[in-house]
Amino acid sequence: MLSFVVRRIIASILTLVVASFIMYVLTANSGNPLQDLLASNAPNAQQLIGQRTERLSLDVPPPLRWFQWAAGAAGCLVPFASCDLGVNLNFTPVTALLPGAVASTVRLVAASTILAILLGVITGIVSALRQYSAFDLGMTFFSFFLYSLPSFLAAVLLKEFIAIDFNNWLSGADSSFGLVPTIVITLVVAFFLQAIVAGSMKNRLITFGVSAAATLGVLLYMDATNWFQSPGLGPVGLLILIAGVAFVAVVLVTGLGNRRALLAAGITGAIAYAAYFALQGLFDISTIWTIAILGLATAVVSFAVGWVLGGNDRSQVIRVAMITGIVSGLLVVADRYLQAWSTYIASPRINNRPIATVGEQTVGLTGDMWVMGLDTFTHFLLPTIALTLISFAGYTRYARAGLLEVLNQDYIRTARAKGLSERTVVMRHAFRNMLIPITTIVAADIGALLGGAIITERVFAISGMGSLFAVSLDRVDLNPIMGYFLVIAVTAILFNFIADLSYALLDPRVRVK
Amino acid sequence: MTNTNRWRGRALAGVAVAAGAALALAGCTTTPAPSESEGGDATTGGTISIAQTNAATALNSGTPDTNLNTNGMVDYLMGAGTGPGSFMYVDNEFNIVPDETNGTMELISDDPLTVQYTLNPDAVWSDGTEMTTTDLLLSWAIGSGYYDDATFDPATGEVTEGNVYFQLAGSTAGLDTTAFPEIDEEAGTLTLTYGEPYVDWNLVNLINKPAHVFAEAAGFGSVEELATFLEETPEGNPESPAEPNEQLTSLAELWNTGYNITAMPEDEGLLVGAGMWIPKDFQADDGGFISFGLNPEWRGEMTPSFDELIIRFIGDPNAQISALQNGEVDVIEPQPSADTVAAIDGFGGTLIEGAQLSYDHLDLTFNSEVFSDPAVREAFLLTIPRQQILEAIVTPVQEDAEVLNSQQFVSNQPQYADAVAANGYSDFAEPDIERATELLAGATPTVRILYNTENPNRVDAFQLIQASAQQAGFVVEDAGSPDWSSLLGSGDYDASIFGWISPGVGYASLPQIWQTNGGGNYNGYSNAEVDALADESQVTIDDEERLTEIQIEIDRLSREDFYGLPLFQTPGLVATNGTVEGVVYNGGQTGAIWNTWEWTLAGE
Repeated sequence: MLSFVVRRIIASILTLVVASFIMYVLTANSGNPLQDLLASNAPNAQQLIGQRTERLSLDVPPPLRWFQWAAGAAGCLVPFASCDLGVNLNFTPVTALLPGAVASTVRLVAASTILAILLGVITGIVSALRQYSAFDLGMTFFSFFLYSLPSFLAAVLLKEFIAIDFNNWLSGADSSFGLVPTIVITLVVAFFLQAIVAGSMKNRLITFGVSAAATLGVLLYMDATNWFQSPGLGPVGLLILIAGVAFVAVVLVTGLGNRRALLAAGITGAIAYAAYFALQGLFDISTIWTIAILGLATAVVSFAVGWVLGGNDRSQVIRVAMITGIVSGLLVVADRYLQAWSTYIASPRINNRPIATVGEQTVGLTGDMWVMGLDTFTHFLLPTIALTLISFAGYTRYARAGLLEVLNQDYIRTARAKGLSERTVVMRHAFRNMLIPITTIVAADIGALLGGAIITERVFAISGMGSLFAVSLDRVDLNPIMGYFLVIAVTAILFNFIADLSYALLDPRVRVK
Repeated sequence: MTNTNRWRGRALAGVAVAAGAALALAGCTTTPAPSESEGGDATTGGTISIAQTNAATALNSGTPDTNLNTNGMVDYLMGAGTGPGSFMYVDNEFNIVPDETNGTMELISDDPLTVQYTLNPDAVWSDGTEMTTTDLLLSWAIGSGYYDDATFDPATGEVTEGNVYFQLAGSTAGLDTTAFPEIDEEAGTLTLTYGEPYVDWNLVNLINKPAHVFAEAAGFGSVEELATFLEETPEGNPESPAEPNEQLTSLAELWNTGYNITAMPEDEGLLVGAGMWIPKDFQADDGGFISFGLNPEWRGEMTPSFDELIIRFIGDPNAQISALQNGEVDVIEPQPSADTVAAIDGFGGTLIEGAQLSYDHLDLTFNSEVFSDPAVREAFLLTIPRQQILEAIVTPVQEDAEVLNSQQFVSNQPQYADAVAANGYSDFAEPDIERATELLAGATPTVRILYNTENPNRVDAFQLIQASAQQAGFVVEDAGSPDWSSLLGSGDYDASIFGWISPGVGYASLPQIWQTNGGGNYNGYSNAEVDALADESQVTIDDEERLTEIQIEIDRLSREDFYGLPLFQTPGLVATNGTVEGVVYNGGQTGAIWNTWEWTLAGE
């Protein structure tokens, strides 16, 4: 194991050195960094050319200049050494440019990656379990459609419909759903749900009817209460949702037969529901750290409830309790955010047009953490959707193929043969093994994340790593490009390494040597 | 009680204690509820947001590293070296408009050129500090390079010896011949005497950055101490360079890099300005913004009707349009294209079109073999389909665009019409292949044209010229290159298509392009008459009429010499979504924000 790690580290460093050299020389030869000055009719152009040449050592041939760069950059990888990545054409140190760009990129891609993984894996599992059904084929079509949608087009469509049209609707005189949209939404949701449930015609019809009625009810309720102007889950909505969470958690993890799990889920749900009433006062004066501590407390309390009630299946019951507790806690927090919505959209700086198309924040907006949180949400909503739509497809395919492969293994047949319930077979035997290859894909994807999303960043005016790279390449600004390269190369190598190690940890058949 | 039960009891007690502690801890992290939860600080007068393509990087556009258009807007709004609050600003027709809020400038004598700057007794910076002659002196010290003693390598432009303290985006030309100014603190006057006549004396603006901020940053006890220091420090002499002066170095550090910002600066001193707008908040890079509030000390005649101006940085033109449509910004200034115009029209935005200062032109190389013969030059110019080029490139963006008919003026300038009437460039409106064939008399000269192959407009222009010139018998070879700019003046081509940016105001750049061996004269143009006129222009003081005559005359001479042809001005565009009135197109560097005091919010 140790020799494996050492060998990998040495190989990684060599890769990095060689790749950076190639990158450096190629980029340096991609154009002339003096271009703007050579074409300038400024009286002191010659002097400016001299200054830039001197600062960036442009008179040294690129392969030799790489050694200068490498000497400075080596300091960044060694702890406590001074880190010098050079300066850009405007004499700003690259070390000052990178942190902001990395932070923007992480804010942009983190949520979309998590969403894409969650939605992709869930859709993939359902597709696999309903192989060749209408749902499976429909999702295959849909995910490939999204996959092939260019991101700039997706961005334009999102801006047009979700931002501008939604804002027009919200700020317009008549912001009710209208008859036709209500019927269409109801039918689509009902059709979708019956396709997931599948089974006999009778089952399908029942699902269709129930879900249509529920959706219609929710829509009429939202319409009647002007939900989009002053949204919220309310005590009743929250009660239903928390009960739902507890129920689903128990069904998925242990099955309804496990009384202890049911009890634990019920108690955590009840505590969360009680906390909803108890904490409103504290929420009004909360900061993000208050919420973090409350989150930690929720985890501890749920763990304790599961631990105390666990009995023989302690670990499973703890899991049920924690899932219930944390998801319910998130619902309570979400409800508080929704309560702040009407304040947010009424602000003169928002003026009933909440969904933004560019940037990361509303200029000059001040407010409590809920209002500011909503502001971040409305600004990152569209780019997050755009990125999720694109990467979602890949995960559905991996998850579907992975689960189908696992379900055809002998040990699944054995599990079925000894009479285990379908839930146990799928959730405990198949699902976990399916996750092994996905884990490695996720690790590699996270490594690539910091590369940013050049087009999405540009279209939504977010200055992350992608735009740093694109802008610098355009100006043949070598040092920022190399800074960008260093960050993404190191993370890519690191996460590939983690992926290899985690594979070995998760799958006992694989050993690292 | 069984063992297990006791365990559970303890565990529950532990949990209760932990939960209580967490709650108490959570209580410590709270913040008092804002008394007014409406969100947003109250702006009584309203907010106007304008989008710009480039992000601001500094609160000073005067150094080579910060000389970007958005930084220039910040300077203009803050009245630093340009804009209301300083001595003058430039309007949308490129007139120099004096602003007397803080002071006046006056020409005392032509020979020697002497200019007096007088501060108003109540002239004041935005932080309430009184303006003094030291503020003017510091601006002079920065702009004149008085203390520099560097020698430059003429070939590479690198410093070989000595010091350059204040880095300048422009050059020290003009101010470099001035002696140390005469100062009368009592009267608030500073008088500059130039060693040589300087045509652009009226663009020398000595209200720029506050001296009290520089004094503090460089460790001077007071503004007076700074004044004494500047007076006592000897002029730099490149022949015997001195050791770097520590205090000058720290003053220069603030000028060179101190105003560069990556986040809202904590040092309030950096925000001090003389203009009507003062920075309030800032976020760097694409998607960021810089917002301005009104200068509390502003006493100018022109006062904005709203009290917050936001410049939002949005690089993508389509993103600017959707932000405009969504009401996130009220005014945009994107690079125009046919799609841009159609999209803004599509949602009912207001288009305000105009022409930018940059223009494309075709230059013939005088010292090339083929074009040393004037008849061949004329024949070639007669084949240039200027109208067709315009229709292919500009008309889709700007329907009423016209061919540019002057090498000296752009169509936004009032002198343009006179120049066109006199210079004769309009003779080349349409190609005259017959006449060109006649002039060539059967010869088939080969013409190599240099242009930027990465600029689709230049590629279009080249292809149209190629097709048309071939009809007259020219063999046009493609000498285009993505690295065109380093090839300029190399002599490897016979003609070139590229762009100049007209300065709009000022005449200092005339000899650059037109004089024999001028720095921007890449095509070997040489005409004794033009040389003499260019020389004369540099010493013509306070006589706009004569300067216009000179320019028109150079225009006419260049036409007679078949110098080349101006092609078209780059179209420009400002658009609003109907919430702002009073926006006027400005092709200059300052762009649309030049007249914020005339902007009003619609419906108020």
